[in-house]
Amino acid sequence: MNGKKNIPAGKRLLELVRNNAVPIMFIIICAIFIPMAGFSPSYLLNEIVTRMGRNLFLVLCLLFPIMAGMGLNFAMTLGAMGAEIAVILVADWQIWGIPGVVLAMILSIPFSALLGFICGTLQNMAKGREMITSYIINFFINGWYQLIVLYVMGAVIPIIHASIMLPRGYGIRNTVSLLNMRQCLDDLLAIRVAGVKIPVFTFLLVGLLCLFIVWFRRTKLGQDMRAVGQDMEVAKAAGINVDRTRIISVVMSTVCAGFGMVIYLQNIGNLPTYTGHAQIGMFCIAALLVGGASVEKAGIGNAFLGVILFHMMFIVAPGAGAFITGDSMVGEYFRVFLSYGVITLALIMYEAKKRMAKSKAGQELAAAQVKKEDA
Amino acid sequence: MKVKTRRVLFAFLLVLVLVAVAAAMMVIGRGHTVYFDNKTLEDYQGQTYKAFEKVVVTVKDEQVAKLAKRDRGMSIWIGQNFKMILEVTREKGGEAEIHEIDLKLPYSVDGIVINLPALLEELPEEAWFSEFVPAVTEEPAEEVPGEGDDFGLGLEGELGLEDGLGDV
Amino acid sequence: MSEKKDYNYNSPSKFNDEMKTIPPARWPTDLEKAQMGTMTAMVSSFGLPRIIISGFLLVLFILTPFVGVDLPTQITNIINRFSWNAVLVLAMVPMIHAGCGLNFGLPLAIICGLLGGTLSIQLGFTGPMSFLMAVLIATPFAVILGGGYGLLLNRIKGGEMMIATYVGFSVMSFFCMMWLLLPYSSPTMVYGLSGNGLRPTISLDGFYNQVLAKILHIKIGNIEIPTGSLLVFALLAFLMWAFLHTKTGTAMTAVGSNPAFARAAGINVDRTRMLSVIMSTWLGAMGILMYQQGFGFIQLYNAPNNLTMPTVAAILIGGASVNKASIPNVIIGTILFQGIVTMTPTVMNSAIHMDMSEVIRIIVSQGMILYALTRKTEGVK
Repeated sequence: MNGKKNIPAGKRLLELVRNNAVPIMFIIICAIFIPMAGFSPSYLLNEIVTRMGRNLFLVLCLLFPIMAGMGLNFAMTLGAMGAEIAVILVADWQIWGIPGVVLAMILSIPFSALLGFICGTLQNMAKGREMITSYIINFFINGWYQLIVLYVMGAVIPIIHASIMLPRGYGIRNTVSLLNMRQCLDDLLAIRVAGVKIPVFTFLLVGLLCLFIVWFRRTKLGQDMRAVGQDMEVAKAAGINVDRTRIISVVMSTVCAGFGMVIYLQNIGNLPTYTGHAQIGMFCIAALLVGGASVEKAGIGNAFLGVILFHMMFIVAPGAGAFITGDSMVGEYFRVFLSYGVITLALIMYEAKKRMAKSKAGQELAAAQVKKEDA
Repeated sequence: MKVKTRRVLFAFLLVLVLVAVAAAMMVIGRGHTVYFDNKTLEDYQGQTYKAFEKVVVTVKDEQVAKLAKRDRGMSIWIGQNFKMILEVTREKGGEAEIHEIDLKLPYSVDGIVINLPALLEELPEEAWFSEFVPAVTEEPAEEVPGEGDDFGLGLEGELGLEDGLGDV
Repeated sequence: MSEKKDYNYNSPSKFNDEMKTIPPARWPTDLEKAQMGTMTAMVSSFGLPRIIISGFLLVLFILTPFVGVDLPTQITNIINRFSWNAVLVLAMVPMIHAGCGLNFGLPLAIICGLLGGTLSIQLGFTGPMSFLMAVLIATPFAVILGGGYGLLLNRIKGGEMMIATYVGFSVMSFFCMMWLLLPYSSPTMVYGLSGNGLRPTISLDGFYNQVLAKILHIKIGNIEIPTGSLLVFALLAFLMWAFLHTKTGTAMTAVGSNPAFARAAGINVDRTRMLSVIMSTWLGAMGILMYQQGFGFIQLYNAPNNLTMPTVAAILIGGASVNKASIPNVIIGTILFQGIVTMTPTVMNSAIHMDMSEVIRIIVSQGMILYALTRKTEGVK
């Protein structure tokens, strides 16, 4: 910290900009787009607060695998699928309100934990390409999810209510109404400040998860996880069960994602059965990266900043696109492009950095060897 | 070894607590839809119970229905101990009388129809209680799961091979 | 501090270290086969998932007459779909050979083909000429975009597949905007009302619909064979095979299987990889044009994404792995995959009145990719 004081201010600023290029870029984009979209400030604020409540929990669950050096967990979608199965069952049993949400969360644990375990095991079999593996697992499990929801539910797993079933007598409809669960967490203790509804209880839950993450980092397991993340070989030499630690980190992530998904769904108020989870992973990852996280380092602050900036961009982009080109579709494609772009950029930066560090290490070793020979 | 037993015990307890909480939630969280009918009950054991002129139903401090003759109102209720306050006007121009009603809702029934005149006459349950059977609405043809989402890039489309089949 | 450095070196636990010698993925030797017994040997050399998939397809074929499905129609469908998809699958080969992994960035290549097709129509070409022009126009795009893509992939060796996926997405979503904004004006392609922005689906009637398929078209009973398309694929596949046996081709294989050795042998690794990426991109562009001429429509916007996973899955089903692929893999894989895609819906629908084909497709293709990614012995990337 003290060392930084000696560096001239200009250079420091440059450093700051370089380290936070993505958030700064998004702040600029938002600054340009907001006036173009022409939304009222209170509308924007309301949307942002709602979306923070809806998404923060999901975004935060990405932190565990990053801690364990497994990169961006594209397979957090698995947790979302587990939660969706739980929510379908709870909706069918007609458990409403907060008890319904609590039950869905508890019920999602076995599903998400099992899926997380499968995912972690497969990722351990594919060390070094965890991310692409998690990305494919995502699709693979989605196939099984569809098999269960489309063919097994109603045929093997009893579904009582025809209102959530496809007319053919088995399989779940495209959307399952969660009207009686809708925003019941958000409305609990909710306060209104200048027309903006603040879902205090949801934020409390998010705060709780943040506290848990902070606490967890200090536990033995958290330390192990970080050690594994830094260097698997060293961690192994230090007697840490690397594979087990990695699986635990993925399981924690998927279980949290399950809770996050329940929070997300109670806010939305209905469950798009076959598409609800599809883009969750991608949204959350993009949001986290927009907040200035990288593939190997991410904190709670990144999640908060990221959700605000990413969703701000997401809200205003169609309007701004319509303003510039007269076609709101362009804006919609633009925001998709930005989301993909930011993930691509983060991945490229991560891999390039990894390579650079590796070649540097190689050079250092070569230099050391030369020295040794000289001596 | 001892640490391990403690850990297993702890995990076991945790699971037990979760299961207990889940079971509790299943009991207290069961939702019901309650319908109130202000209808004349014809010829129940030889007697006819006339509909009231006006009934105001209040559930949880919220006025959910104002029923004239032959009207039906509804309210949702979570749990089995249903409470409501009825403000009944029997005859035109008459005084409103207030009844506080406590009912035990059966766990397994989703929709419950209560005939108010019969209920207030304290007739046996079979007189005022009936199960609400939702009318079978004509459904649109088979929905195709997985179309359209916020991002326009559903996982479904991922294997978009359906295109050609009809074409060859 | 010095300790730390040691860690850094000793632990290129970064498992995807490209310098690491790769244990060659090998089929069991004859001796081993004899020891294992024929059955197990077959399983291990063919791979369990492949056996399951082939068996599944076989069952479908056997079931066909019993459930009242017309076999010749099914065979025609498979041959047709093979002719549409085979070149796309072939596009996977160069990059796998050069050790760039599975080309999840296929949308980029497809975009090149789409540019070729749409520009050819925009410039007013019709009939077979439009196909030729599409190929010609797509080529420079493939070389330029593929070159850039190759340059990028060279900077991030080891993380190709994930980045390829997202490069594909980014390029595709960028072109989603472009299809709306570029000044296309051909009335067959733009939205009728506003007059600008390309339609999501463009019919190729009067352009290059079936131009190759019609050449030497054969009809035996109920079976129809699009000979022209098959011949073009055969030509490209032969060229690919021949290329892999040239000096550059063997260099490419060397780069893929052992970059350290390749570098020591004086091969320019980066340039070889770049070449493979350009080839893959060009073949991908050809592949989508072939697909369009069979299918009869150009599909824009998010459609390029739909072909990536089936294509990757097809070559893996054919017996390729993350760093090893051959022409037979392409042919077998495409037949098996398209066979399942064509047969499952009809046969299953007739047999149990339940169309689970979509789900089966997802599970089979993704399961195959997952299997390839998680195999320890094969490939490090």
